Amino acid sequence: MANEDVQRTLEELSRNLQESKAWLEEAQRVAHLGYWVWDLETNHLIWSDETYRIFGLTPQEGLIDLDKVREMIHPDDREAVFRTAGEAVRSGARADCEHRLFRPNGEMRIVHSLGDLKKDSSGRPYQIFGTTQDITERKRAEEALKQSQFYLSEGQRLAHMGSWASKDLGIRWSHDLGIYWSDEVYKIYGLDPQNGPPNLEQFLAAVHPDDRASMAETVRVMHEQCGGCDVIHRIVRPDGEVRYVRCVGVPVFEDGVFKTFHGTTIDVTEHERLTQELRRERAYLTEAQSLAHIGSWATNLATRQNFHLSDETYRIHGFDPRQGPPGLERFWDTLHPEDEPWVRATLEDAVRKGMDYDIRDFRIRRADDGQVRFLRTIGHRNSAGEIGEYVGITMDITELKRAEEEREKLRQLEADLAHVNRVNMMGELAAALAHEIRQPIAASITSANACLRWLARDPPDLERARAAASRIEQDGNRAADVISRLRSFYKKGTPPKRETVDIKEIIREMTALFRTEALRHSVRIHSELHEERPHVLADGVQLQQVFMNLMLNAIEAMKDSGGELTITSRPNPEGQLVVSISDTGVGLPADSAERIFDAFHTTKPQGTGMGLAITRSIVEAHGGHVWATANQGAGATFHFTLPAKAGTRA
Amino acid sequence: MKSAALPTVFIIDDDKGMRQAIEDLVESVGLRAETFASGEEFLSRRHISGPSCLVLDVRLPQMSGLDFQRRLTETGTQIPIIFITAHGDIPMSVRALKSGAVEFLTKPFRDQDLLDAIQQALQHDRAAQEQQAEIHDLRERYHTLTAREQEVMALVVSGMLNKQIASEIGASEATVKIHRGNAMHKMQAASVVDLLRMADKLKPHPRK
Repeated sequence: MANEDVQRTLEELSRNLQESKAWLEEAQRVAHLGYWVWDLETNHLIWSDETYRIFGLTPQEGLIDLDKVREMIHPDDREAVFRTAGEAVRSGARADCEHRLFRPNGEMRIVHSLGDLKKDSSGRPYQIFGTTQDITERKRAEEALKQSQFYLSEGQRLAHMGSWASKDLGIRWSHDLGIYWSDEVYKIYGLDPQNGPPNLEQFLAAVHPDDRASMAETVRVMHEQCGGCDVIHRIVRPDGEVRYVRCVGVPVFEDGVFKTFHGTTIDVTEHERLTQELRRERAYLTEAQSLAHIGSWATNLATRQNFHLSDETYRIHGFDPRQGPPGLERFWDTLHPEDEPWVRATLEDAVRKGMDYDIRDFRIRRADDGQVRFLRTIGHRNSAGEIGEYVGITMDITELKRAEEEREKLRQLEADLAHVNRVNMMGELAAALAHEIRQPIAASITSANACLRWLARDPPDLERARAAASRIEQDGNRAADVISRLRSFYKKGTPPKRETVDIKEIIREMTALFRTEALRHSVRIHSELHEERPHVLADGVQLQQVFMNLMLNAIEAMKDSGGELTITSRPNPEGQLVVSISDTGVGLPADSAERIFDAFHTTKPQGTGMGLAITRSIVEAHGGHVWATANQGAGATFHFTLPAKAGTRA
Repeated sequence: MKSAALPTVFIIDDDKGMRQAIEDLVESVGLRAETFASGEEFLSRRHISGPSCLVLDVRLPQMSGLDFQRRLTETGTQIPIIFITAHGDIPMSVRALKSGAVEFLTKPFRDQDLLDAIQQALQHDRAAQEQQAEIHDLRERYHTLTAREQEVMALVVSGMLNKQIASEIGASEATVKIHRGNAMHKMQAASVVDLLRMADKLKPHPRK
């Protein structure tokens, strides 16, 4: 009976034990916590099933050798783990450490182990009983949280954006209630997170004095109306640096009851500075456009839509910027009726061919005041855009054109003046000459008359007649002298002036002077000048006169036909510069080619016959000579030589 | 008689050749010629006797021919002027002729044109001189009259009868007759009409 009872009791106990064991096993499994018993004598460990699982092993392994455990612990943690164990054996204190281990399949786990030292009755330690908990998942979650917090703060840092939350603003805030600032907000404000967020007073103190009042008002309104905000204001950091901050706040309601404000604080200094710079640049551009009377625009000529017109474009066309870009049709309306057809045709042609265009000198009637203005517009096809998209500029060239016309008039005047001067000079010279020559001629005629009368006497008075004849001779010589004097006018009349003259410069001046005159007669002037030795020793003004005479002659020779005036210069073997002025005009007179350089010899109705004579006189006074040749084709070429400047001869 | 003096042609031209040629031409027709290089020279050496004329170049150094003409007029020297010029224009010749020039010739001129102008000028001057001489003569005769005779002559010329003159000067008619006879005689007047003509010539009226 007793045996039966014992048996029954034993069975019951065994069942209870089995049950307890199962529960313990279950508890261990749920908590990822296993126990172990370390026999300090044998250095063998007894593991619970969960401990086997944690280490990636099975209970079939049986007793675990300490060396096996050591092997499985992460090499970096091994020393720490056994040091902790040694510590526990020495001091009897509980061992507590976190370490990593590698399962046989290579998987790493993080565990938390605790161990208590057991001693026998004599006080000798013989065993450590401990637990090992797999905390890998928890650690990973912690790690992930840390990571995401890092990403958040890093993101805020990179974006210069902080976040904040506040239960309330205003009065209670000043008592430092319910405020949260992310690290980035502190960084933006240049404040130390250790000191905690500022109260309202401190916050407003950080705001730039110029923005303080409006910021205080914003806070007040938010508080009173539980409303949001989106403001850009300046703050002054403790180190004095001014930053622009955009503060966006929204109220959060729960079930219709205001709970809190959430918001962001963004450092927009760079953005603001860029914006300001952009604004400034835009102002400069606008100013520049206005100064230069150049407007810019973007348009689609196919859809007849203007995307963008700069202020100056509006002004040029007389449109009101407040009404926005007008349609292309309104541009057509402003075009001058005479210019509209060809301007329109040019544009349409450009669109069809997808080409750039440059339309010059067309007129519009300004939309606002009706003034006629001259414009030039250049359009570049926007190849990235749709068909007909053009960007370009429009210039008001009215003033430019007027100035050009003025210049043209002036140039014309100069040319006329030069011509008049030449004619006047010739006229005066001729008058002076006439008087000088008329005197001896009149005297000799009178003497001849007297002579005849002496001879007609009865008897003839031969003595007086001879005297009269002698006077005739004298007066004749006197007339000849006048002519000689004229011939040597340029040689002796004025002391010769010799300066270094750049012949190219003179040619350039004279070409400019006669451009209008030449254009009027469809004469093109071009020059082929020898690059070396452009300098000669000469009287610049006289040399100008030589060019003037020869070029005027050349133009006159072509005035009915038009043609080409060519000026060439080249050195000759004697070291002189040979200048040739060639025309494609009427050519030299066949019957009197050798007399063209004689004074008063002229083939022109209004000619004085002095131009070439003076030319020859000047050239010869400079130690050169002048001659003319008939061209192979039409026209004639006049050549003259000038000694090159001493020393320039290579 | 002074009018018997040889007519003289004065030539003023700064051009020596011209001067000599004109002088020779003038002499070839038997006239006397005197030459001067400038107006000033003429004024300083002038000694006019007998009919004369001036051949004057318009363009002269210092004083031009036209200025010189004005100067002569201002000093009351009356001499016919023939202008010659190497480059005359119409306004200049008009001015010269208006100021009393006889002729305006452009060099070179036809010799006959100059000689004709000289003849005309001399003739003009001769007449003027004769008239001048007659007046001079009459003035000398007039100065031989006594004051009373001059007074009576003036009243006679004014057309008064002897009786009226007598009452005017407070003398007898017989006395008036004597004065009148003396005046007629001294003035070499053949009749009262003759005396009237003489009185008219004696009246100063400057030639314009």
